[in-house]
Amino acid sequence: MRNRADYRDGGEVFMKRNSFYLCVAAVAFLEVAIFWLSVELADPLPSVIAIVVGILGIYLAKRYVHEVIEDERTEKITEITALRTLQITWIGLFLFALWIIIEALGDGVRHFNRQIGIFGFRLLVLLCGIIVLYVILSLYYNKRYGA
Amino acid sequence: MKNKIKVFRAMHDLSQEGLANEVGVTRQTVLAIENGKYDPSLILAARIAKFFKVRIDDVFLLDLIDE
Repeated sequence: MRNRADYRDGGEVFMKRNSFYLCVAAVAFLEVAIFWLSVELADPLPSVIAIVVGILGIYLAKRYVHEVIEDERTEKITEITALRTLQITWIGLFLFALWIIIEALGDGVRHFNRQIGIFGFRLLVLLCGIIVLYVILSLYYNKRYGA
Repeated sequence: MKNKIKVFRAMHDLSQEGLANEVGVTRQTVLAIENGKYDPSLILAARIAKFFKVRIDDVFLLDLIDE
């Protein structure tokens, strides 16, 4: 997408910050439309392809933005926000999983509500997987940054 | 950490946007540094000092009482 805000410098096309945000909004709009198409067709493939293509498109468009849209402060904000989101989500889901398991076992092991109980245990396994992934990434970045 | 970016900007007749473009950050980051809400990295502090052709500790002052 190009508009009057875009310009050329030495033959190379650059994009202004607002043009990039317009691109992101257009991609988001298309993603919603394709998701709806997927629902109508009962086929998840168009949605999956659209999301991958959309992410790649935004990544490529970002490379043509001449102005600064991300710097060390925005990176720090992203880091802290991501960490807090992970912590809150993890604790929330852990409590939810415990709640479900206790509900399932509430009438005793003999009357174990299998469907709900298995969902709770699967959720706990997923949460353990997140911890394992966190530890692996933490070790990797510790090594990368000299520990 | 206190800083004199506003003073140096005024001396160079430069806007926040202008300084941001020169040192490769957003205007919001310059504003946050000026207001003392964000402490820049050593690299950014060095870039700002280099742009104003002064030493880092001429621009940034570590206030140990506040720390």
